[in-house]
Amino acid sequence: MVAIYYVVFVNTLYFSILALSFRNIWTIFRRSHYSKYNTLSGSELVPSVSLLVPAYNEELTIIENVNCLMTLNYPTYEVIVVNDGSSDATLNILLEEYRLKPVPNTKIRGKIACQKIRGIYHNPEFPDLYVIDKENGGKADSLNAGINLSHYPLISSIDADSLLEKDALIRMARMYMENPEETVAIGGDVRIANGCKIENGAVQDVSLPRKIWPMFQSIEYLKAFLGGRIGWSHMNGLIIVSGAFGMFRKDAVIAVGGYRDGYPGEDMNIIIKLHRYMLENKLKYRVAFCPEAVCWTQAPDSYRILSSQRKRWGRGNLKNMIENRGMLFNPKYKVMGMVTMPYNVLFEALNPYFRITGLLALTGYVLLDMTQWPILVLFGLLNFVSGYLLSVGALVLEEIAFKRYNKLSDLVKMLVYSALKFVGYHQLGVLWRLQGHVQFMQNNNSWGTMTRQSWSEDEKKTSEAA
Amino acid sequence: MPNTATLQREAAVNVYRSVEQGLKETGAETCGLMFIHCAGNSQPEQQVRTHLEQTSESAFQVWKDGATQAIAVLLPGLSLDEVHYEGLRIKHELQETLPGADPQITLASFPEGERPSKATIQHMAESSKLVDSSEIHIYTLDNTADEPERILIVDNDPTVREFLQLRLKMQGYETYEAVDGLAALELIEKVTPDLVLTELNLYGIDGLPFIHHIQNLEMEQPPKIVVLTEQRVEQTISQCFRSGVDDYMTKPFSPVELDARIRRCLH
Repeated sequence: MVAIYYVVFVNTLYFSILALSFRNIWTIFRRSHYSKYNTLSGSELVPSVSLLVPAYNEELTIIENVNCLMTLNYPTYEVIVVNDGSSDATLNILLEEYRLKPVPNTKIRGKIACQKIRGIYHNPEFPDLYVIDKENGGKADSLNAGINLSHYPLISSIDADSLLEKDALIRMARMYMENPEETVAIGGDVRIANGCKIENGAVQDVSLPRKIWPMFQSIEYLKAFLGGRIGWSHMNGLIIVSGAFGMFRKDAVIAVGGYRDGYPGEDMNIIIKLHRYMLENKLKYRVAFCPEAVCWTQAPDSYRILSSQRKRWGRGNLKNMIENRGMLFNPKYKVMGMVTMPYNVLFEALNPYFRITGLLALTGYVLLDMTQWPILVLFGLLNFVSGYLLSVGALVLEEIAFKRYNKLSDLVKMLVYSALKFVGYHQLGVLWRLQGHVQFMQNNNSWGTMTRQSWSEDEKKTSEAA
Repeated sequence: MPNTATLQREAAVNVYRSVEQGLKETGAETCGLMFIHCAGNSQPEQQVRTHLEQTSESAFQVWKDGATQAIAVLLPGLSLDEVHYEGLRIKHELQETLPGADPQITLASFPEGERPSKATIQHMAESSKLVDSSEIHIYTLDNTADEPERILIVDNDPTVREFLQLRLKMQGYETYEAVDGLAALELIEKVTPDLVLTELNLYGIDGLPFIHHIQNLEMEQPPKIVVLTEQRVEQTISQCFRSGVDDYMTKPFSPVELDARIRRCLH
């Protein structure tokens, strides 16, 4: 019976979040269509941003990404690439491409501890580009090093395998400017770029991935970002700002001691820390989500890489939950303590156990003749329909507000895959999370493998396939 | 690919330089110059050479121009009517031997005191491509005088491009447009504009790097650069001026003011 209540409850919650997303979508739609971003993108009044790009063994994509970041429509910003002790030619490629020279006697404001910095490089011809070369210390450590060098009051973390849309940053900044006092972090919408045509560091032609793994992830991301995060941000209960693209107030990040080092889940960790800090100090704040600021990222396209990524997420999630268990059901932490954290523990972290025990129990009931198998089928069907409705809901949101996927075939494909997701992929997700937990128990802190493909390589392949 | 483009470019520049040199060195009172451009890729350099060897009494020189695919023929001592006659004969000969070639000819004769500059020679070579093949074009020096100035508009907003193009055309300029920095750089090499009117927010390559690139192009006369942009940050403006742009205007702009600034840059 617990399983049934669990499912009913979780679906109610999912649907309320989706409903909140729907409530806001019209505002978002109008905002993204009628705002004068052009004028804003050249204005002196927009706060300056430091873009931090941690790069570890990114020789294939780094130039394309830095080129993309240097052509954003934004008045004043700098790009700080942090080479995290790469073992490949990442640093040399950067130095050669932009003819960077070491900067003598740089002032590093050592506000946050980080690994030893070997050198800082700059070229006056590209005044807004800095490259930090440091000893390997992980993503969080690189971000901290970037914060130490950054010159501007806002920072934005961007994965080296992601491409920002030209307007993404200014759209985020606009959201920040609406309420600069309270906004401490803003998350952007992350989409899967596999299958899109990439040219000169920009997505020129949007279409769905051809391979099956990225395709499932496309649907997943759409659901998580549009169906979920818009709603969560509405009640200021956003627990994660994607590491691939987020904007933060530097003073707030420094106040909480910068990014945490050493294990995965640093993007979730910083947000929890911010919530915690703000609530403990009784400061008014918000963590916002800006769905019209789009960042395109490369999704893992093989089972091995995807599973290791998901295990890492599972591990990070559990770790963060355990560390911050004091916030659970603690009224002091308001929405965060009463809704988001419990939700995250019950329905994200413990989800596999409920599902597996629930399934086992139901099968047991049937086998012991305590209930009839049609009930089991009905139950499964209900579960499927509600899940499907959630995905479709996210799709509808996408079509109302953004319309990035224009082709009818793409829409049909998305609808089909939203259903297919429940046959296999969904279950794999549960399995991966479970494996992540096992890894956590074994104290396995490895990052797992993440191989990158060059953007141009990807393009070549798609053009060959076409 | 860019390397081959540069090579071709260099080769072309060398051809014009040689022609200029040839014109200078000839001691004759007048000197004929002819550019022959044929349709298709087969350039009948050899035919022209043999024809001239058989018929011409004076010394001549022949070059092949890689950029315009034309053949340059220098005929020292020939006055305009003699060059014209030679042109008619070459044309006839080529039409006989190469039926599909469709030769287009531009020719001129320069008296001793009025030897043309390299730019004029280049212009003459380019004009041979545009000649109606039914007649021979006689090139005169004041052709360049009323040549409209060329302006390249670089902006990714189609509305802005259209507006600027219409307006500048009405002012009598010859306009070209490019959507982004990379397309613009390619176009600059091809059309050698007198002025580039550019936005700073561009795809591919933008802002200062784009301006640096234009300035580093190997060109006889680098184009003037006028920035017309949304960027109103003073630091950016001063950086632009420091890197040598000729003028800077922010959007929204006054068309009248833009006209005036462009005029001032060009004259």
